[in-house]
Amino acid sequence: MDAQIALPRLLLQGIGISKSKTAGPLRFFLPKEQAQGQKRVASASDPSSEWKRLQAALEEAQRRSDALLLQARERVGEQEAEIFRIHGMLLSDEDLLDAMRREIERGLAAEEALQSAIRDFSILLRQLEDPYLSARVADLEDIAEQVRSALCGTAEYTLSADTPPCILVADDLSPSQTVLLDRSKLLGFVTFRGSANSHTAILARAMGIPALVGIGRIDPRYDGAFALLNAATGSLSICPAEEEKHIFFKAQEQERQITRDTGDSLRRLLHQPALTASGHRILLYANIGDASEVDAALSEGAEGIGLLRSEFLYLGLQGYPSEETLFQAYAEVATRMQGKRTVIRTLDVGADKQIPYFGLPREENPALGFRAIRVCLARPALFKTQLRAILRASAGGRLAVMLPFVISPEEVAQSRQLLEECKRELEAEGKPFDGGIEFGIMIETPAAAILSRELAGTVDFFSIGTNDLLQYTLAADRQNPLLAELCDRNTEPILRLIEMSAKAIHEAGGWIGICGEMAADLRLTQRFADLGIDELSASPPALLALRAKIAECR
Amino acid sequence: MKQFCFTVRDPNGIHARPAGALSAFVKGLGCEVRIRNGEKEADAKRLLSVMALGARCGTMLTVTVSGDEEEKASHALQEFCEQQLGQTEAPED
Repeated sequence: MDAQIALPRLLLQGIGISKSKTAGPLRFFLPKEQAQGQKRVASASDPSSEWKRLQAALEEAQRRSDALLLQARERVGEQEAEIFRIHGMLLSDEDLLDAMRREIERGLAAEEALQSAIRDFSILLRQLEDPYLSARVADLEDIAEQVRSALCGTAEYTLSADTPPCILVADDLSPSQTVLLDRSKLLGFVTFRGSANSHTAILARAMGIPALVGIGRIDPRYDGAFALLNAATGSLSICPAEEEKHIFFKAQEQERQITRDTGDSLRRLLHQPALTASGHRILLYANIGDASEVDAALSEGAEGIGLLRSEFLYLGLQGYPSEETLFQAYAEVATRMQGKRTVIRTLDVGADKQIPYFGLPREENPALGFRAIRVCLARPALFKTQLRAILRASAGGRLAVMLPFVISPEEVAQSRQLLEECKRELEAEGKPFDGGIEFGIMIETPAAAILSRELAGTVDFFSIGTNDLLQYTLAADRQNPLLAELCDRNTEPILRLIEMSAKAIHEAGGWIGICGEMAADLRLTQRFADLGIDELSASPPALLALRAKIAECR
Repeated sequence: MKQFCFTVRDPNGIHARPAGALSAFVKGLGCEVRIRNGEKEADAKRLLSVMALGARCGTMLTVTVSGDEEEKASHALQEFCEQQLGQTEAPED
């Protein structure tokens, strides 16, 4: 333990799964190390006894999978449990059985036959280049692990009874491992790999476990080190300084207070329009990352989506996603939103969101660098692929396009021109789209706020991205825990910029929303109502409290 | 032998869950059911084969049912596909 004192503080960024915070010691679970103890190089005896051994293991895995199905239904929910029924079906799938039998007849041992058959089918699924089916490779690997452990006769991984509550650190977690985690010992989990789309992420979200995925490898010497996990910002701070801990705990306590204050009584407000006492209607929208969050948004009473971050579709791939892939993802959201307005922010890469295949240059100061609309306008083909996908999906719902990081009317004009080009192309191809699709911009830079009058004449709406607007206005990084309070105290300059923008867009006949973290800050709700803000968009868990707060406003 | 076509309407295509539901349904029919997507063909009882068809939203699939009760089975399957996976259309000639 003494050695850990010498380890430096480490700040890591991943994809946040549920939106809460947790703090505690890290505990590494690296299956490779575990596997070494149990590894048994199987030498194939005769094919018929190998086959019997494999069949017995498959049956055992089938029993475990059935048990998991029941457990998941109880702990998580009917819909999320469905994946274990699929596992059960895969375990008895004739194709898989045939492939394994063939391998065994060729003289392979049960373990090798299993490995080989799973690998072949994984390759087959990956070749389909469909993100949903490719993600099912993880399910194949999960069942392979179940069968392997049945072959070796080892038990499932569990947190032993004498383990203190911890943040689990793993290379990746399978859905089975996730659902079996003992909630009383588990504060949260962090995985090196994984995506926001995986079943593991969906389960964690449904179970309300604070989690980060895709965080990259962590030095195993940090096993046992104290860490702060913030799933809302996707950050993990290992060996934090005392004042950082203090700030974190204070924020955590405030969140708990809000949760307690809201509670069930608020549920009554759920499907009523959010009106202030003077009758000003504020639309309550949700910020989401992908289609899997639509249900959470709707069940918290979201009247629309104010910010659909479109970056996730580009993450975790080897190359740019096709128009078809993007179209299907947007179409799913559009369909599931059932005619409610859904604002898709166009690609915002660069700065802290780097994607390897974009090949963006390393920058000294990425926050002020080549990112978002700047990248899109420099690579019109890439931008048009996304615009075409959004337009096509708009045929099945009420979509709106929103440009990030605008600083000038020229950027808007150029983007508009590309959008019109896409419309003409689709028309010529006979593909349906919504010709009147709303077109708006984010106000994230002081420049955009200052030019809001000029910009207002060219767009249908504005949405204030307070996180960036705050950082560029105050010249302070909100993610820096040492500056969090400074940012918190100095909101007036941003409120003035919002006021300016609101006036300009209202005079032009457009609407204005706020989709940054400030939107959910209940101390500011009255000010926003006074400014005539038309829409507030926040993460689904924040919506109920916000709805109640609006009702209290003048 | 009975044949019908349907277009996949699930935005995610026939991914794990719908493929699982389809295989489970077909196992209960007691008929031989084959699904074709262009050049790829699958035995509908086999989950991995069905997933490997890579049927996306908008894909038109051709379903062939053969067996003792093929008339009834085809009818039931067509209804299932319509409700769970997409729209069915008149058989191709």
